[in-house]
Amino acid sequence: MASQTPAVVMDNGTGYSKLGFAGNDSPSFVFPTAIAIKGSSGGGGGSGSGRPAVAQKPSYLTGGAGPAGHLSVKRGTEDLDYFIGDEALAQASGPGYGIHYPIRHGQVDNWDHMERFWQNSIFKYLRVEPEDHYFLLTEPPLNPPESRENTAEIMFETFNCAGLYIAVQAVLALAASWTSSKVQDRSLTGTVVDSGDGVTHVIPVAEGYVIGSSIKSIPIAGRDITFFVQSLLRDRNEPDSSLKTAEQIKEEFCYRFQKYVVEQLGGRKVTVDVGYERFLAPEIFFNPEIYSSDFLTPLPTVVDTVIQSSPIDVRRGLYKNIVLSGGSTLYKDFGRRLQRDIRHLVDARIRKSEEKSGGAKSGGLEVQVITHKRQRHGPWFGGSLLGQTPEFRSYCHTKAEYDEIGPSIVRRFALLGGPGQ
Amino acid sequence: MLLLEYHNLLLKSILTERFNSATAASIDQVISDFDGVTFHISTPETKSKILVSISVKCYPDLLQHGAQQVLEREYGQYITETESGYDFSLMVDLENLPAEQEAKEDLIRRISLLKRNTMAAPFEKAIDEHHRLAEAAKGFNSETAPTGEGTEVMVIRYREEEAMYIQASHDRVTVIFSTVFREETDRIFGKVFLSEFVDARRRAIQNAPQVLYRNDPPLEIRNIPGVKDDGTGDIGYITFVLFPRHLTPQRREESISHIQTFRDYFHYHIKAAKAYMHSRMRRRVADFLKVLNRAKPEVEESEKKEKKTASGRSFRVQA
Ligand SMILES: Nc1ncnc2c1ncn2[C@@H]1O[C@H](COP(=O)(O)OP(=O)(O)OP(=O)(O)O)[C@@H](O)[C@H]1O
Ligand SMILES: [Mg+2]
Repeated sequence: MASQTPAVVMDNGTGYSKLGFAGNDSPSFVFPTAIAIKGSSGGGGGSGSGRPAVAQKPSYLTGGAGPAGHLSVKRGTEDLDYFIGDEALAQASGPGYGIHYPIRHGQVDNWDHMERFWQNSIFKYLRVEPEDHYFLLTEPPLNPPESRENTAEIMFETFNCAGLYIAVQAVLALAASWTSSKVQDRSLTGTVVDSGDGVTHVIPVAEGYVIGSSIKSIPIAGRDITFFVQSLLRDRNEPDSSLKTAEQIKEEFCYRFQKYVVEQLGGRKVTVDVGYERFLAPEIFFNPEIYSSDFLTPLPTVVDTVIQSSPIDVRRGLYKNIVLSGGSTLYKDFGRRLQRDIRHLVDARIRKSEEKSGGAKSGGLEVQVITHKRQRHGPWFGGSLLGQTPEFRSYCHTKAEYDEIGPSIVRRFALLGGPGQ
Repeated sequence: MLLLEYHNLLLKSILTERFNSATAASIDQVISDFDGVTFHISTPETKSKILVSISVKCYPDLLQHGAQQVLEREYGQYITETESGYDFSLMVDLENLPAEQEAKEDLIRRISLLKRNTMAAPFEKAIDEHHRLAEAAKGFNSETAPTGEGTEVMVIRYREEEAMYIQASHDRVTVIFSTVFREETDRIFGKVFLSEFVDARRRAIQNAPQVLYRNDPPLEIRNIPGVKDDGTGDIGYITFVLFPRHLTPQRREESISHIQTFRDYFHYHIKAAKAYMHSRMRRRVADFLKVLNRAKPEVEESEKKEKKTASGRSFRVQA
């Protein structure tokens, strides 16, 4: 059965879920990883629901988790009364529904919500019978194996999906960069700078294997930048300083020279000046002290440290192939800036060691930051590339194998798109 | 979400976006849908000409029962040369759209219903047949009425191992689905679900179609080649009996849409039921864990000494 159906690729991020079919060059659906459920509210819905947000602390930090208590007997269809994605945000701004974010910091936090989120993704949005399709899901670096097993349990036991592959987002992001003209060889060695909504990771990958001990994460990502822009707007008493506006300004104007954003608020038009935040927002990565008081290391230094702590024989490859991925790396000239700063750090170190060694010349080190067209949905696109290869299915675990061995089967996957392909 | 939609959401959203946008963009997406249907939406020539193609597993069966006519009626001028690898293609020229917004929306709606319309042919044929037989039957009284079982059964092999069987007669249209359960649990959930259907009909909704469920082929289809009773019960047969009240000109469109999605609806609900059971199980486990934690002896707590680092900070073992 299921001989030609395309694989389903799902990249569920902290902020946005990217869903689609392997072989396409963009995801079919991109919507917030949010679920609105009747009754229990997950705290004030301050997340881009359109109204002027009051909560400084985002709702997803307080609500949504754990056994919420009621184990009441339901006889009806309440369990189907929920919405996901943009619809969820729309419903949650009215009465009756509470909004929840099933993923936190890249990891699934509430499996009940995630299971239902997938259910709706598969049947309502993608419209596929999971028994007919292979699935490629993504996971953040250092995802605990138990989390993988939970995912497998849901995919195989609830949905009976035909086959499953779980790939690390960073590895997929490397594969996605193969489309860039700067990349000559299709190697899976490189440093991935993945900055999405919840967290920024710097991940060294050597031949498809993540060097776990050297990963560093930075607690600053898209959401923080949005808050930062919002606070700047508030300081200036702009007529509209909702999160949504802040996010729009961030995405549309940063590093670009436009003056105004005109936007509708209940039909009313409001004009908001876009001031220095368009420079400052992405600057957080390079000078974190302007936003945060506890995390102060600039991104280029973090990247450099990560590579320096990796095994010496792969460092050259890691410097040569620094790949950007995720929505928050899209700022104009972000890559160029990063490359320049890292090169400065590297050159300074080389010069120092040359001085120490008394005149021995170093051959230099190539630093290259890759920016490419598919960066925004990097992990998804990488999944789409690999998911359409003829050998993809042989790398998956099938339902039959799962039934035979159990959830622990997903602790290991053969490396997809590895050397020699 | 109780019911599945009849249209393809992605086709609809892409077309809505393209129809209402001023800028041109190229599209190239392969989209899957239920029942082994694949769409390809692309702009092969110029950005303003959108080609929508569909491939349906059971297209040969559908053609036999008048799919061509139904598609011609629905899509007329938009039909174009069939893209290779697909069964049927439409071409929409963005520069040549209907002027009124309403007509545009109607076009979007019709195209996003492409799968539904392609698969509607045999149902339409059966309903027409039913009206013809019913008309003919009016001339008879109860004694002379023909006792024949109705028309020949139409077989639509719409999935690898599953088929729909449709038969018309003067007082009903019978639709039988065969469906495979991949798992023991699914079969049980399926049974419960269907008995709930039967119950509901008894309790409240008398004018719902009659539903029967069995594990061996029903009488109507026993003699059809390919239908076999393997005795394992892996294949279930669900029979729907649509009565004349479901087949009136006002209701027939809706009835056809509904019954087409039944198989996917059924499996969707089996899966939803499993998800619901899982969430209850998780709650139970969490509750039991709480009880267990409460039962931990107190002494342990008091014995636990606070550990301090050199700088005087304390740390605790994570639970
Ligand atoms: N053009 C843009 N410029 C700046 N930021 C953007 C742009 N487009 C999207 N973003 C931001 O990128 C973030 C979403 O990125 P992405 O979809 O990669 O995150 P995610 O995968 O959901 O999260 P994570 O990878 O942390 O789990 C949002 O905060 C969004 O505001
Ligand atoms: Mg991500």
